[in-house]
Amino acid sequence: MSSTIDVGTQPTDDQRILRMTINGVQRRGIAEPRMLLVDFIRHELQLTGTHVGCEHGVCGACTVRVDGEVVRSCIMFAVQAEGAQIETVEGLAKDGELNVVQQAFRQEHGLQCGFCTPGMLLATESLLAENPDPSEEEIRDYLSGNVCRCTGYVGIVKSVQAAAKQRSQA
Amino acid sequence: MAIQETLNTGLNIQPEAEADAVLQRRKYIGMNVLRTEDPAFLTGRGKYTDDVHLTGMLHAAFLRSAQPHARIVSIDKTRALALDGVIDVITGEDLEDTVGPFSTTVHRPEVETVTRAILNSKVALYVGQPLAIVVAESRYLAEDGVDALDVEYEVLEPVMDAEKALEEGSPLLYPEMGTNNFAHIEFQRGDVDECFERADHVFKKRFHAGRFMAAPLEARGVIADWDASGELTVWSSSQVPNLVRTYTAGPLGIAESKMRVISEGVGGGFGMKAHIFDEEVLIPAASQRVGAPVKWIEDRYENLAASLHSKEVIVYLEMAVQDDGTFLAFKGHYIGVGGAWPAHPWTSLIDPLPAASLLPSFYDIEAVGWSIDAPMTNRCPLGAYRGVGWTPGHSARETMIDDIARELGIDPLEIRLKNMIPDGEEFVTVTGMKYDGGSYSASMLKVKEMIDYDGLRQKQAELRKEGRYIGIGWSPWVEPCAWGSEVAKANGFAAEFFDAASVTIEPDGSVTVTTGCHNHGQAHYTTLAQVTADTLGVPFESIRVIENDSATAVYGTGTYASRTAVVAGGAIMRAGSEVRDKIIRLAAHAMEVSPEDIDLAEGKASVKGVPDKVMTMQEIGMLAYYGGPNRIPDTEPTLTATRSYDPPETYSNGTIVAIVEVDIETGKVHLQHIAACEDCGTMLNPMVIDGQMHGAIAQGIGGGMYEDLAYDASGQFLASSLMDYLYPSTTEVPNIEIAHIETPSTVTEGGIKGMGESGTIASPVACLNAIADAISPFGDIKIMKSPIGPNDVREMLRAAAAGSNGSAPATQPADVETRLSQQAEGA
Ligand code: FES
Ligand code: FES
Repeated sequence: MSSTIDVGTQPTDDQRILRMTINGVQRRGIAEPRMLLVDFIRHELQLTGTHVGCEHGVCGACTVRVDGEVVRSCIMFAVQAEGAQIETVEGLAKDGELNVVQQAFRQEHGLQCGFCTPGMLLATESLLAENPDPSEEEIRDYLSGNVCRCTGYVGIVKSVQAAAKQRSQA
Repeated sequence: MAIQETLNTGLNIQPEAEADAVLQRRKYIGMNVLRTEDPAFLTGRGKYTDDVHLTGMLHAAFLRSAQPHARIVSIDKTRALALDGVIDVITGEDLEDTVGPFSTTVHRPEVETVTRAILNSKVALYVGQPLAIVVAESRYLAEDGVDALDVEYEVLEPVMDAEKALEEGSPLLYPEMGTNNFAHIEFQRGDVDECFERADHVFKKRFHAGRFMAAPLEARGVIADWDASGELTVWSSSQVPNLVRTYTAGPLGIAESKMRVISEGVGGGFGMKAHIFDEEVLIPAASQRVGAPVKWIEDRYENLAASLHSKEVIVYLEMAVQDDGTFLAFKGHYIGVGGAWPAHPWTSLIDPLPAASLLPSFYDIEAVGWSIDAPMTNRCPLGAYRGVGWTPGHSARETMIDDIARELGIDPLEIRLKNMIPDGEEFVTVTGMKYDGGSYSASMLKVKEMIDYDGLRQKQAELRKEGRYIGIGWSPWVEPCAWGSEVAKANGFAAEFFDAASVTIEPDGSVTVTTGCHNHGQAHYTTLAQVTADTLGVPFESIRVIENDSATAVYGTGTYASRTAVVAGGAIMRAGSEVRDKIIRLAAHAMEVSPEDIDLAEGKASVKGVPDKVMTMQEIGMLAYYGGPNRIPDTEPTLTATRSYDPPETYSNGTIVAIVEVDIETGKVHLQHIAACEDCGTMLNPMVIDGQMHGAIAQGIGGGMYEDLAYDASGQFLASSLMDYLYPSTTEVPNIEIAHIETPSTVTEGGIKGMGESGTIASPVACLNAIADAISPFGDIKIMKSPIGPNDVREMLRAAAAGSNGSAPATQPADVETRLSQQAEGA
């Protein structure tokens, strides 16, 4: 057992300082080239709303938006997002108010344990941006890369439908 | 709606039911109250284990066995320890003096006890077994350390075939035990032999229920902080934080009073996280050793390969049946395909024992006989997952009933209704289980109506003429709920269970409730507040429910086995009634009337018929705690009560029907629709009940058609990523329609029966029976295993085609048979 514990805070030779804009705020942090974007967001920037369910690109729990595109942040390196505009679940509510999609998920029981929820919300935002009035089939198709182990998707599909309706009336 | 305002106000309550009572804020049980839990999750502030960061925290990663069965000749730490940032490498020998073993058994004479080192670096018994721990400054560095460990294995013959594992001369996992069999148990009620002699028909079946698992989206994780004053705080993604404390304190050699276990945010548990895991001992031991907090977060490979598998049971069934379809008696032999050791503490019996115990279900048979074996094999240990062994038991029994119905030419709905016990009354089954009234037939008839069964059968016949094959699969269930001592014993587990709740009126009149159960998606902070509101007569918004932390909530055993609504709900009703009595007596004393004249509602105590004589809960709280001589003489100031509850046997019931279309060319099954009717007695929150049904049914669809924790014959694990282990997604799970019948329990507090697991018990076989029903025109179709994927469908069609001796099935068989056999040759 080595006797000292020295957790460095300065970048070492193979580390770099990265800058990116997250939810409209300029942030910077230290990353090795091999650090995954999701680890950088969660542990370096301490935005823990983005989750990790598989680390191999299947479950969608780590979904964020990078420069407007839906991205699985577990299969992208942090250094690849240098300078990017990133949106995470923490940026959805504005001025302390749940946005329409968040409210719809609550109203229609679109979450249980909440672990898939941040990814689902981001994916839903993208779906509705691309297609404001999706059919049930289109919703199911779009969200098929986001796994939920709790809800059987029934509440999630209803939540997306409710959010679409609400947005179209706004 | 501002976040701080998204309280569960009356606006959130659905208007339809009992509107008056709701508007007067006098009744919350039965209402769709929106969840108190949601705003935190929706804004990304859920506080799961990996979200916790402690100053000076180090990170652990495990070296795990690559071999299913091997002696570990050596683990060389040199290269790992030389890495910059690696702090420590821990093997079994390093913990010999500080960490005691796990000793696992079920207290019955037929069951062995397995005692084992919690970190065994000498012998590997399955692929994924922990062999060493690397502690480093980051997770990345800890994994570098694992990669730098040099391990030498001496490979031993793996034990993979569970039936051969029981034979004399099989290689042994524990040579000192002299057997691989953890338990052999037999049970008989009624004259089984006489029934089988008398029967017009005796049917036999072997059914191999597949291995699948909870695999919650959040894998496990443990953080331990064993501080300099000898106090240990553990964060664990667990459904049973208090049991983690009770079961790990012994091996760790620490008093429970010095230990705190926090399981605040848990991203799904489903029974898997209701166990005590090796890492829950090893990470605290590592923290003690390195003198710093240590975090370990399970990755998906570890979760799939090395947490807990479930449900795999080989079932041999025999049924004695009369010509008219009357069931006389059932016999079963259940071989639970266990893993390297019995999961702590429930053991691998959690599958075969409940499967066997519930063999008669709600069929009114004269006699039943069963036996169980529980061989250990070189697989990941077998443990509980939503519905435990009732799932494989139910799949075997209900596929067989469909086989029999087809053979006797009786409709699958009719044969079940014919043999069912009566609705509504208490009933003691042939095994001695005490059912507390249900809607066994009514729920089937309700679903019959929902799907327009007769119309659907007609449509099925018409589509068959066009070469399209739809199928309807019935699956009515009864579910032992609440897991109190009586239900546990009825299912073969001779142990005691309970849970507890405290109810406190604070000085300002707000209400704090704590329970020993655990909230991880089931909305306890909402539903248990509904129970409290009704019990006390206070507004929902004034109540806060606390669970998930051994230091802030009362001790109890956690959430599993569809128990919390019944057990914590009942404990709250009991504690709440005591507090309510205190409030009424105090208010009566203060307003100088007799207690019978006090009406308690909406957080106010008023004198009946005198509208201006009112005390608010705040006035009552202040009077109680600080009123001094104005209080009732000789009473204590606190307005609190703690009560426990161990409910009698209670059983929910219902029916699930699946409708599928099978493409006979490809074997692909399109699950079109699921309709279900459930009866869990008094409903606390129908929205939450629907959600539990939807989720459990989806998991059962996975187990019935997709999820398979396969090993090859050499013991290598084949389902080590989510590319191999297939979660149902939005495109595999159809819309699910749920209806409710409420038959309150005749025996529990409030008539609550419990629910949550039935979907996973009953939906796999609904899918399997629907598949068999769809392709039954092609010959003798019997489902012998789960899951059933496209290849299996094709296999069944080929076998049916080969087995038919010219007796043509009802519709266009020759064509299809020829096509199938041509394709088979071409393949
Ligand atoms: S964690 Fe990124 S897809 Fe699963
Ligand atoms: S709510 Fe638990 S995984 Fe979706």
